Amino acid sequence: MTHSLHRFGSIESQRNDFVWFIYQSKGINDVDFEEKARRAITIAEKCGSENWGDVKLGCKLKCPVNEIVTNLSRQSRIRGVFTKREQVVEFLKEMKKADLGLSVIISGLLDEVLPSCEEAELTPHTINYSLGVWGKKDLLPEEDVLAVTSMCGHHMIAANLIRKKMEEVKKGRKSAEKAAEELAVLCPCGIFNQVRAARILQEAAVKA
Amino acid sequence: MVQINRKLCVGCATCIPYCPVEAFKKEAEERKVYVDEGICTNCYVCIRNKVCPVGAIEESSLDNFMKQFQHVISDPTVTSEGTGVPGRGTEEAKTNDVTGRYGRGEFGICIDMGRPGIGCRLRDAEKVAMAVAQAGVVLEGPEITPLATLMTDIKTGKLIDEALDTNVLSVIIEGKCPKEKLPDVLMALQRVEKEIETTFCLGIVSRAEQEEVSFFFETLEKLGIPKPFRGKVNVGLGRPLIP
Repeated sequence: MTHSLHRFGSIESQRNDFVWFIYQSKGINDVDFEEKARRAITIAEKCGSENWGDVKLGCKLKCPVNEIVTNLSRQSRIRGVFTKREQVVEFLKEMKKADLGLSVIISGLLDEVLPSCEEAELTPHTINYSLGVWGKKDLLPEEDVLAVTSMCGHHMIAANLIRKKMEEVKKGRKSAEKAAEELAVLCPCGIFNQVRAARILQEAAVKA
Repeated sequence: MVQINRKLCVGCATCIPYCPVEAFKKEAEERKVYVDEGICTNCYVCIRNKVCPVGAIEESSLDNFMKQFQHVISDPTVTSEGTGVPGRGTEEAKTNDVTGRYGRGEFGICIDMGRPGIGCRLRDAEKVAMAVAQAGVVLEGPEITPLATLMTDIKTGKLIDEALDTNVLSVIIEGKCPKEKLPDVLMALQRVEKEIETTFCLGIVSRAEQEEVSFFFETLEKLGIPKPFRGKVNVGLGRPLIP
């Protein structure tokens, strides 16, 4: 799954958008995963992760945090978002110190992520590079809509729903923040960045 | 399978914008909503989020293998039986620090067919899988990636005939190739992208050492492919670490 890799929108709007993952691998390092995941979540929360979740249980904007933490299993997948580079650096430093033995992955702009690793004194092991969209690109929606849909990499958030939310914000029926949170709950992984989404919705409303 | 209970549906159309592939349609005469089964990918966004205010969207059994496959691959909350992994069932580079799936001197290929949010017929996935296999990609097997369960021959990427018309929200073609084959693989993708009716997102996995990265960037430049600015970085904290 490469659902956090291919995010779209202007480079500037991607600058404050980082996805973090804590992964166990079956049969290799999944023993006591639940406890380790709880420690990783505590670190992510402390570092200011705006959203996070477990695909089976939902994101923290939809499901109470205690419920997610209590129901973690060896198969759970934990991931979330940061909105500032400083949060990423602090998270990496803390995870290094915690030494949980789980794979830690950060997805984002390489000119932000790689210096963050360096600052945390970590040497990246592997990189999955995004080479963007290929094929019939004329099928893609408009850029600001694509910037929002692609923040749920499994595409659980429809382009038409985003257009509807943009319209609601434009007409003043709801705030961009409220609209962004309504979209975020549809992404079960918790990697939807509602802070960035609110900014995009607001900008679209002003433009219109 | 997703269906609308016609007795309950009031035709309010609240559900329509929620469908990622626009499978909800409104009847002209009775003004009730129906599901276009040829478009629906059984991702269950509508069911999971209870988007119908009167509860008219219902789940019925997935009555054949292809419907079940479609659901597993399109609904990230379902775990793939073959790989034991939820979310379309694959780990790719995320655990490479402990699995060592991609070593030095080779590149991982992750082709997300139907992304971002367009959806794809498996016919197009077969076309792309066969093109890269012919160019030198060794495709991953069913224990690693769900699409391989539909392949009649893992060496060629050919899919079973009954799969070809199936519509999925997205599906990943995964494999790897030796360093020297990477230019051929990228050129094959440049050719086949013109022959498909959908889009795909391309991810190339590399070990993070300078030698590998330099080779990769030089190859892109020779082929006129823009240098990537996004990446997913495995920071090497997994244990036991594959050096």
